[in-house]
Amino acid sequence: MSVSERTDEPIRGNPPADIGTGTVRISAGHHRKRRRGTVHVRRIGLWLSVGWIGLELLAAATAAFLPLAEGRNPSSTLDAPILASPSPLSAHPLGTDRQGLDILSGVIYGARTSLTVGFGAVLMGVAIGGLLGLLAGYYRGKIDVALSFLNDSLLAFPPLILLLALSSVVQPNLRNVTVALGVLAVPTFFRLARANTMTFSQRNFVLAARALGARSSRILLRELVPNVLASTVAYAFVVVAVLIVAESSLSFLGLSIQRPEPTWGNMIAAGQPDLEKHPHLVFVPGVVLFLTVLSLNQIGDWAQRRWDPRGRKL
Amino acid sequence: MMHRVAALFVRIIPVLILVSLGTAFLIELVPGDPAVAVVGAEGTPEQYAAAREALGLDRPWFVRYFDWIGGLLRGDLGRTLVPPVQDVASLIASRLPVTLEIAVLSVAFALAISIPAGTWSAYRYGRAFDRVASGISFGLISIPSFVLALMFIYLVVFTPESVTVLIVAVSATAAVGLASAARRNNAASTARERRNRILAAIGILAVGVVLVLVMPDFPRQGFVRIGEGGLGENLRTVALPVLVLGLAESAQLTRVLRSDMSTTLKDDFVLASRAQGMPTRHILLKEALRPSTFSLVTVAGISFGRLLGGTVIVETIFRLPGMGTLIVESVARKEFMVLQAAVLTVAALYVLVNALVDISYLYLDPRTRHVRV
Repeated sequence: MSVSERTDEPIRGNPPADIGTGTVRISAGHHRKRRRGTVHVRRIGLWLSVGWIGLELLAAATAAFLPLAEGRNPSSTLDAPILASPSPLSAHPLGTDRQGLDILSGVIYGARTSLTVGFGAVLMGVAIGGLLGLLAGYYRGKIDVALSFLNDSLLAFPPLILLLALSSVVQPNLRNVTVALGVLAVPTFFRLARANTMTFSQRNFVLAARALGARSSRILLRELVPNVLASTVAYAFVVVAVLIVAESSLSFLGLSIQRPEPTWGNMIAAGQPDLEKHPHLVFVPGVVLFLTVLSLNQIGDWAQRRWDPRGRKL
Repeated sequence: MMHRVAALFVRIIPVLILVSLGTAFLIELVPGDPAVAVVGAEGTPEQYAAAREALGLDRPWFVRYFDWIGGLLRGDLGRTLVPPVQDVASLIASRLPVTLEIAVLSVAFALAISIPAGTWSAYRYGRAFDRVASGISFGLISIPSFVLALMFIYLVVFTPESVTVLIVAVSATAAVGLASAARRNNAASTARERRNRILAAIGILAVGVVLVLVMPDFPRQGFVRIGEGGLGENLRTVALPVLVLGLAESAQLTRVLRSDMSTTLKDDFVLASRAQGMPTRHILLKEALRPSTFSLVTVAGISFGRLLGGTVIVETIFRLPGMGTLIVESVARKEFMVLQAAVLTVAALYVLVNALVDISYLYLDPRTRHVRV
């Protein structure tokens, strides 16, 4: 990310901070023009990331209609080869595991779980945390104090214990895992929306709206929500990545969706004993997970540079 | 300064109380009955009732919570419910050093990598080193820790020859790249820069050769205490977990330092120093580094606090007896006393680390020393 790149898209209504500051670098080559390659590489990386996530979404949505090996139904795998190595032209392009389950279809159905949990939980976090943060940041006062205290306590609570307790109380299925991770995402979005609302509330366009006689509901809906939403959504992709990692970590520990229903995490956990002889059991889902998280981070990075009023700050 | 520390503790005690109360409530929700583990599956209802009464499980959870608080204030953490009965204090005392060692070493390793890498990246903003370092750290941030851990196990433990190949390939590529950059004669690089590149290339090759020659075998799993097998054995068992945790942290810290440092380098005092003819190394390390480390210290503190909570994933994969697995086990067994003590220890350490981070700001920026909050 470079300074010139950051400023080439003026952020809506907010003059970029580094205009007009004489930037003097102590580097010996500061007078040279920056090489053109960086921007192109970044663009290609971004498009590859979008492509990868798009492909995954498509595969996950149409998984039931894809010509996958009859691999995810344990009763129909009796004649399938066990622990087959990946070979692109066979019936099992990415091989099979110890139960003869096809890894390619496992990865695709796993994408379905991961993406549903990731995006679903973030949607929940944005809806609840964003709304409460907006109210707390706009009205301040007692409502802000109360909500912030609740939020800090939720943030201070060790998430692992919450998830452990939850997973032993309720059935760890898709819906419950999504809700649990969504609850964990709420504090992040609350803080984000609250901080952004407070920043935007100070700005002149809000003052202008109030001077024109707009009521709070109008200021909130028409002036603040679009601005706050853009900067919140910019952050959301990174949180999707974090939650996808969280879900697969839970699956890896056996606390999320159970086998034979495949998730990337439980596929990796199941392949772990065979790591030495059959590394593809671990590394195929591992690489898919890595590429997904990398792509989401890449997209999130771009979205933050594009939409976050405070620029890329952690 | 003392009133700052005091104010911090006043603010933190309600949070600790809420956290422990929440823990007590949550563990109550977990199904299962420790009395079954005490008596065995074949007991009569009377036996179960007697066992429950002996363990104090017949009373409601908040009564037991206040009992526990009372014990805590007297310095008594209680005993485990399920046999083998142990003192909770000694249980924690056996688990905490493992977690502490790993957390300290991981953060130290991460700082040792990220301070030079971040500083140099900021100085060479947008140039080859910066681009490579940024790419690597972006990738490392995106690898989930359990995938990284299994990758290390596969490479280092199961196929040690691949590590040799990897080290040789990486150091050779870096050295060749540097050497060819040094040979290219463009206007922007001085003779001194070219000489430094050659030296760096030789240095990288030397480090690669040394690594290949002295690389010891690392165990797949387990932990040897310093008291049992000596320091060398102990370090061998924690090397891979520390590498896995430290690499992920170092990527994050490098990014943070790079971004702060590149802002600092635009400041007037750096230009002034430069004009006075100060050497680059002096400017970077003696002048620009300290004011650029606020975010670094903050993020490192947060990471350290998180690592102190035990890293369940890494502890599980490498079979380390740390706090993370203790917490998981005690939730599964409904060990109320153990869980409360473990959570409180972790939370208190977390608070302590945060307090240290706050105090370090006073050292990093003299202007904050006289501001009252």
